[in-house]
Amino acid sequence: MGPDMANGAPTAPGLSFPRETFAKLTPGPFLHAHLKQQEPTRANGRSPEDFRKPTVNIGSLTHSNGSAVVRVGDTAIVCGVRAEILLASDIPHPPRDDVEDDDMIEELGLLVPNIELSTGCSPAHLPGNAPGTLAQSLSYRILSLLNASNLVSPSDLSIRYTKPQTEDGGPSEEAREVTKAYWTLYIDILCIALDGNTFDAAWAAVIAALQSTVLPKAWWDADREAILCSPLTAEAHRMQLSGLPIASTFAVFSTASPLKRLEEADSWVLADPDSFEEELCKENLTVVMGTKHAGNDGLLRLEKTGGSVIGKVAMQRCVRMAEDRWREWKGVLGGG
Amino acid sequence: MQADRRRINAPSGGTAPPIFATPKDTPLRRPTRTRKPDEHRKLFLRTGVVPSASGSAYYEIPLQSPQQPELLVPSSSSLKITCSVHGPRPLPRNAAFSPNLLLTTHVKFAPFATRNRRGYMRDAGERDLGMHLETALRGVIIGERWPKSGCEVVITVLEGEEDGWWGDAGGQEGGRAGGWGMMGVLAGCITVASAALVDAGIDCVDMVSGGVAALVQDGQDGTKVGGEAKIILDPSPSEHQNIRAGCVVGYLQSRDEVTEMWMKGDAGTQVEALVDEAVKAASLTRTVLAEAVREAMGLKMGKASEEATGGLKEDKGKKKDVVMTG
Repeated sequence: MGPDMANGAPTAPGLSFPRETFAKLTPGPFLHAHLKQQEPTRANGRSPEDFRKPTVNIGSLTHSNGSAVVRVGDTAIVCGVRAEILLASDIPHPPRDDVEDDDMIEELGLLVPNIELSTGCSPAHLPGNAPGTLAQSLSYRILSLLNASNLVSPSDLSIRYTKPQTEDGGPSEEAREVTKAYWTLYIDILCIALDGNTFDAAWAAVIAALQSTVLPKAWWDADREAILCSPLTAEAHRMQLSGLPIASTFAVFSTASPLKRLEEADSWVLADPDSFEEELCKENLTVVMGTKHAGNDGLLRLEKTGGSVIGKVAMQRCVRMAEDRWREWKGVLGGG
Repeated sequence: MQADRRRINAPSGGTAPPIFATPKDTPLRRPTRTRKPDEHRKLFLRTGVVPSASGSAYYEIPLQSPQQPELLVPSSSSLKITCSVHGPRPLPRNAAFSPNLLLTTHVKFAPFATRNRRGYMRDAGERDLGMHLETALRGVIIGERWPKSGCEVVITVLEGEEDGWWGDAGGQEGGRAGGWGMMGVLAGCITVASAALVDAGIDCVDMVSGGVAALVQDGQDGTKVGGEAKIILDPSPSEHQNIRAGCVVGYLQSRDEVTEMWMKGDAGTQVEALVDEAVKAASLTRTVLAEAVREAMGLKMGKASEEATGGLKEDKGKKKDVVMTG
């Protein structure tokens, strides 16, 4: 850099480039210069362990059973949950009877989350193409986390019917309760504005939308051989989620390079990275914290990719930060 | 339906939207038009909602009549559209030379935008809307100022207007007749895209605004026949039993030009009156558009002057200049 920059003294206007120019030309050194100050501050003004403030708005979509708009900084996500009916008789390969109740949802594919990034939210994801790798992997991560956390209880999704005793059934035929159909939840996640850390925001939007999901009362009408629903709000029921899993993502900025060994390099762990930082960080860690129970500290998932800077100690620190973040989200979302 | 390998698909058995059995003792109320024939619905427009795009805007017409709280099924829909503009930016190297700015428009409904769930692939109706929007905008942009460049206008309809009242279709079809809702959506798309173009700083000859008018012939007490034919501004299709014709225009007020016109149905001898009313609706939308743009401009100018005078507040969490070496 020029001598104007090095002495740090305020220079006459016009001799130096504005911040944005440096950020664009040399993003790595720009972020490094911010972090190596006495008090490390990121280019966006946050300290390394600062998360952005979340805001949640629930029930703004008319045609959804549940919906939420989540904003984390400049990332904005809209999520709508739409319930449709899957008839048990339509399932081509019904699961065997010995499938655990908890696995039923995964086995039948009753939760269908999809994230759409091609909404013009960023120049990197322009519409007209099939979903990119990022969108596909995000959808899949959300699906697997939904299934792993057993968030939705199978009893909320099954529509039961008690078979009446038939006259000619004989003594062996008793009144039997069967599942005639299942609710399938289409969880459509649209990214309206993108500024990094899509997963945390999208996951929070899914949770908030599911929390607000109301399913109408449904029953099997034996005469019409169809499932009918009641349009009355009074008869509908709100879905009960078990727990409140919250994802917190960290990225690692390191000066290590093929020419500089990791031991000699400086590294920082950045909480809740924005898209400028995401571009520069290879290593990522996502911690998913659930509700704490007795004998269970709530750690649901750890996903770490791309490097070896976060060791045991740093990992513990991240988990503690994720716990704090969980409390912050709980204040916004309630429940848990 | 063909399975999409890049998305998570519905269970292979296929699902159906719920069928509602309305009890006899809870009557469904059709929303009624309470505003005057020449009154536009209140609308909300804001620019700069997507920071990562060159320009963006959000458009909303809130729900008009209150919903029936005892019913889970909404009686009418609001209209919510976001638009982002990317560009002008250089065309890819392999693209042919273009002396003008190449405009691409893209309109997509969100899966939850309508009463029946929509797919992720664009259907013919959405592509058609994109074409209409492109014609409306092409006449406004001064394309010669950006040779060899492209500009993308991307619209996501978060909630679309309905084509009719769902009760008319027995609650099954979701009131899919006539496609009148698309006209309101197109008018919204034109207005919101215009605001986003201004936000992106792309040179235009004027601001284009969209307006709809319709010729309706509502009968008394929910019958389709009889009644007097009249022209109304900004129709909400669920409020009418019988829409005979509709017209959307993209209108430049200061030049008194129409860049886009889409008429549907049989207006008979009243074609000209219908277009005039649609233009009137567009002029009404333009006042909101101008207000939103002026407000956003004021904010931008305020920010710029603050930076110019060096009035950076040294708050915690503010972006600060740092020393770069190396």
